[in-house]
Order: sequence, then structure tokens, then C-alpha cells
Amino acid sequence: MGQQMIPVEELIKSQKQPGFKYTPEDAPTEDYRDILFQLEKEGELEVIRVPEPYVEVTTKYGRKKKIPLEHTWHHKSCGQCGHIPGYSTSIFWLHRQFGFDYVDPSDQTSCTAWNYYASATSNAEAQVAVAVRNFAAAHETGRFPLIHCGTSFGHYKEVRHELLHHHDLRRKVRDIMERLGKKLVFPEEIVHYSEWVYAMRDKIAERQVIDMSHIVASVHPACHYHKLVEEDAIYDPEIYGAQRTAIVTGTLKALGIQIGEYSSWYDCCGFGFRHILVSRDFSRSFAVQRKIEVMKEEANPDIVVTHDTGCVTTLDQSQFAGKAHGKKVGIPVMSDSQIAALAMGAHPYKVLQLHWHNTENRPFLEKLGIDPDEKWREFEEALEKLKSGEKQYLTWEDADA
Amino acid sequence: MPSQDILVIGGGPAGLEAARSIGDLGFKAILVEKRDRLGGTPDEAQYAALTPDLRSAEEAMNEMIQAVENNPNVDIRLSSTVVAAEGSVGDFKVTVKNGKGEEVLNVGAVIVATGFQHFDPGRETQKYGYYEYEDVITLVDCEKMLKAHRFVRPSDGKKPERVCFIQCVGSRDRRIGNEYCSKVCCGIASKEAIEIRQMVPDCKVFIFYIDMRMYSYWEPQLYWKAQEEHKVNYVKGIATEIVKKGDKLLVKGEDTTLRRPFEIPMDIVILSVGMEPSKGTREIAKIFGLKQNKYQFIEAVGAPMDTVSTSVPGVFAAGACTGPADLEDSISAAGLAAMRAIKTVRENGAKKAS
Repeated sequence: MGQQMIPVEELIKSQKQPGFKYTPEDAPTEDYRDILFQLEKEGELEVIRVPEPYVEVTTKYGRKKKIPLEHTWHHKSCGQCGHIPGYSTSIFWLHRQFGFDYVDPSDQTSCTAWNYYASATSNAEAQVAVAVRNFAAAHETGRFPLIHCGTSFGHYKEVRHELLHHHDLRRKVRDIMERLGKKLVFPEEIVHYSEWVYAMRDKIAERQVIDMSHIVASVHPACHYHKLVEEDAIYDPEIYGAQRTAIVTGTLKALGIQIGEYSSWYDCCGFGFRHILVSRDFSRSFAVQRKIEVMKEEANPDIVVTHDTGCVTTLDQSQFAGKAHGKKVGIPVMSDSQIAALAMGAHPYKVLQLHWHNTENRPFLEKLGIDPDEKWREFEEALEKLKSGEKQYLTWEDADA
Repeated sequence: MPSQDILVIGGGPAGLEAARSIGDLGFKAILVEKRDRLGGTPDEAQYAALTPDLRSAEEAMNEMIQAVENNPNVDIRLSSTVVAAEGSVGDFKVTVKNGKGEEVLNVGAVIVATGFQHFDPGRETQKYGYYEYEDVITLVDCEKMLKAHRFVRPSDGKKPERVCFIQCVGSRDRRIGNEYCSKVCCGIASKEAIEIRQMVPDCKVFIFYIDMRMYSYWEPQLYWKAQEEHKVNYVKGIATEIVKKGDKLLVKGEDTTLRRPFEIPMDIVILSVGMEPSKGTREIAKIFGLKQNKYQFIEAVGAPMDTVSTSVPGVFAAGACTGPADLEDSISAAGLAAMRAIKTVRENGAKKAS
């Protein structure tokens, strides 16, 4: 009869059901590793191998990326250390909980990427040399670099392209390295800390002590993570059908957190590198009107979770301006490392250091069954040791006391 | 052993026309089709109406199929695939596999008509959300709904109030490697827009385009007709992103005439997906050692004056296996390929006979 028993729209939906799966052969970009290892064979540079144990994840075009679990050298973020220190402390706390070997170096060079993206610096060889100097420092400790900062992560991916494709640049950088007494080395993968959190998500969930199943979180994926050298970002058919990066969302889902969708997820947080420096009001307005208000209206989440320094600070620290103008604001903002640490029982002030955050987060803690007054009292008790001169700074023992 | 038989690979419009032409001229054509029925992509993808005349695709294809099925000179092999080939012009040994096993066919010439496949918009990750949002569909999905006379929002079965097409998805896009224009999508989108307006008169229809490429008579047949008779809105601009907002899709982009960004809610977004070489085209090119261009289409080595000869003498290609093509292109090239193939086997036969 030619009649369709199933409505045509159901057929169309069912055809989409398997989702989209990229095959590496169809990737529109080169696999930089082919060039990297070829250059190593030719004696042009030395490749820092991803140490075992590692987890293989899938990136945008279906290629595999190795994420090291330990033996890592932590490339910190200027903005995290300066503005939201609990961000990086949470990363270290998680490593310690799993007993993983890592190095928190004191000889890291600031990457200069923020200025680069704000059109304020520099020349190609200087930028590559800074990256390589840090990688060489990591290699000298026998560890693999793990990049905390999204800006550095994005920048180093771009730097990699330049280095691999320009012989003359490699020559100049090699000269600089020789003067520093270092080798021209480059890591097999450039790994962002949030990829480590993603790779560890199931293990973190196994040790979760705070129930988060009643929490709704909206995710802001960082531009420098998934828009810049996009083929390096993690994608998973189980998360958004592999049409968006799985980073952060995959971690939150593993912790049982509900995802609050909002329509401006793809937009920048407002930081914008240049904007935050020269047009900060624009950054504040954008963060409030294009991100926080949209989230509030469409998803009304308990929290915003993101994975970069600039994103956490901009989304968190712009809300005061919106509040003054009677805007719909008031959503606490944290990094995935902070949420993961909190889920495993980290102290909200001694480890997460939420007192550095700007937007009110006490109601969020209360919703998780955490008494912020009691936790603050514990924190002040620890601070007494500093006041009394008993200690100059708090230690991991204090954090977990 | 030299043969005057001609193998035609692919049972779509080009393959059907080639086989029919060979048979009509008194030569034997062996038509090999991997599916269990003839008709090619118009049949497999359930096209509703053909561009530009809106004639029923089913009716038109049935006519072509019958012309082949009723032709005593055409030997049709369904559910069969070519798996190996050796020999040279005049004397090819081609292995064809089907459910019963393998058979080696001895043919003097080959016509490849293995066509194209529609671009999978999943490759445009995070732009259009084809696999994320039920109401984001393709030109092909739209054809299916038009054929079923049921144009509704897939998410809830409701009649749409606002629909838009986004042009050049998977075409003219250096980032994904498809730098070429797929030639037919502007016309097909305009044709579908007219059909939607006819089927759901209250629905507003928009077409977001880089520039409309309406070849030849498509300009009066579709472009002006869509605007003047059917009130389809053409907006010059690039849609950069689709997100869900409530039960609507929010289309974000830039209106390049007004030079400002736009955000427009839609019920259904139709992605005008372009053409890529089919899996069959890529496989057959490898089996016969045919030169392919950088996009993996089979290269017509004598183009533009000879649009069907490949890098292997005695092997011809017709239709969308050589690059984006409309039906007129495919049918015309198929006729030419049939003529060149017959010339090849006749010369071969005469040479061998002397």
C-alpha cells in the first residue's frame, strides 16, 4: 500500500539515534603527532612521552589522547594563584587523595599568553621559548606537564603548530634553549588539568561522600579549550551526542549532578582577554547579560561550573555589578576541580577557599548539607595557628584536620 | 578474452540512463547495483519531488527503472557489489559478489555511476546540533516529510510556524575541507521552501545564504517563484550556531546586508547539506585504480571537453561520482558515457576481428 505505519518524524528521529561518530580518517586536520615523532627521528627535538598510568580519551575527530594520571609537573595559572587559589589547591588535594606522584614546581615561567591574546606581546620565538622552557623544566624532573590554565593550554597548542611547521623557528628556539642550558623538548600531548579530572571522574565518583544528585549545574566550556585548536578537545558520543565537548559535563554527570541547559552556552564568559584589560565594563555586562541572566532564566541552576581561570573569575566576579543594577544574578561559580574535591569531602574554606569567591555560595553549601558557619569556624581555628605564630602557612595536615 | 559487453556500476539516475542507452543501441549492458532495488539516491533517500519542475521523484524514477527492466539488452544484477577488477580496455575481468557467491564478468568497457552521499552534518560539531536537537533536520529529512505529506516538528508532531534553511552546510567550507559548491542545494532548498509554503500556508520560511547559486532556468523557475508567489524570505547572512531556547531553536548569525548579528527563533531548521563522494565511489575508484581529485571524487581527466573519461582507458564515469551534479548533468553525462563505451568496445571488436 505504500502507507507508513510509523509517522515520518519518528523515522527521522530514529535515524539520528546512533549519534555521530567521527572517524580519524575523516579528520580535516593533520595529526600533529605524526610530525612531532618524525622530527624526533630526524634529531630536531625530543618528545616527552606520556608516562604510565594514563587513560585514553577520544578527541573531536575520533583520535585518541593520552591523559597521564600521575608523575605530572603542574603548570599553574597566574590568575588562579592570584585570585582564586582554592582552584589549584583543589587539583593538588585530589592528587593527594589518590596518592599520585606530582610536582608543584617553583621555577615555572609565566606563559605570556594573556598578553598575546590581548595583542600586547611578543615575537614567535619568545613565545615558543617560554613554552619549551617550561616543558624542559618538567622533563628535568622526570614528570609530564599538566597545564592548569586554559589560556596557557590554548596558547601552547598554537605554539606547537608553529614549532612543528617552521624549521627556522626551531633553530632559533634551540639557540635560546642552549643558552639556558636546556634541550628543545616537546610533550607528546598537551594536557589540561580538566582532562585529568575528566579521566578520573569515575574514580572520583567512587569516593564521593557528598550527594549531589539534587543539584543542577550549568556548564560554561572555556573558549580556549574547545574553540582553539579544536581537534585537541575531548568529545564523547554519550555527552551531547559528541556535538559539543564532553569536558566538565562528563565530570558532573559522573558525580550525579543534573545539567541545566541554557542557550548561550557557546558564548564567551565575557573575559575575552582584551576586553577584560581595556573594556572591563563590557566584560561585566557580557558575563551578566549573556551568561548569568540567561542561565538563571532558562535553567535556574544551583551553580555554574567551568574549567578556566578567566571564566571562573569573570562569571563569579561580575555578578556584583549586575546585582547593583537589579539584574537576575546570584549563582555561585566554581571550577570542576573544586566541585570534584567538594564531592570527595574537601573542606570548603581550607581547600576550596570559597571565601575568595565573590558571589554568595553559602546557600549552595547548605543545599549540600554542609554547615558553612561550622566550616568557617574550623577555618578560623586553623588561622589561629598563623596568628599565634605557631605556623607561617597552613599545611595539608591542617586542610584535612 | 575481448568482450563487447559493458558493465555499468550503480543503479541510480546516471547508471539507469547509461544502461538504457547501451541497450537501446543494441549492445549488452550488465547493470550492477549493491542495493536490492534500482533507483539510487532519489529512491533510497525518498525524494518527494524533483528539482526544478517538482515532478514526483518516484514517478520519474519508476519510468527510468522500467525502461531498463523492459530492455532485453540489460542484464540487471541486484544486491551485487564489485569487489575486484583486472585486465585493460576491451578485456576487463571484473569480480562481482552477491549472496550466492562470486562471479567474474568479462567486459570490454566499464561505466562507473556510483554517485554521491549527503554530507553528514554531525561533522559540523557544535554549530548546528543536528544530533542534539530533534528539530534540526537536513534537506533529505525534509524530502521524506514532504513525500509523506506531513511536515511537522519532529520533537512534538506540531505544525511549524517558522522554518529556516541554512545553506552551504558541508560545502564551500575550507575548514572541513569541502571547498567546492555542491551546485544543487540552493535550488533544492528553494524547491522545498515552496513545497512547505504550499503544505503549511501559515508557516513563515526563511533561507539564510552566502549567495544563492541558481543556475540557468532555476532562477525564474525557483528563485523568483519562491519569493514572489510563495513569499519565501531570503536573508543574506551566515548562521553560525543553533541552540535550544524553550521549545524553539534559536538561530544565531550575522545578517551581512544589515551588518549586524541576529538571533531568530525557529520551529524547524533545515540544513542544506552538500555532496560528498559515496563510499561506493571511493571503493570503486580504488578497485579500478582511477585517479581521484583532492575531495575523493573520480577525476574526469579530459574535462571540461570530455566529462566522462577517467585515468584508466575503457573506464568511464558519469553523474555525481565525478563531483557535485544535478539530474541534468547526470543524465547527460550518462548518455555520453554510453556512447564513449560503445565506441570503445566496437573499436576493440573490430580490431580483434581483423
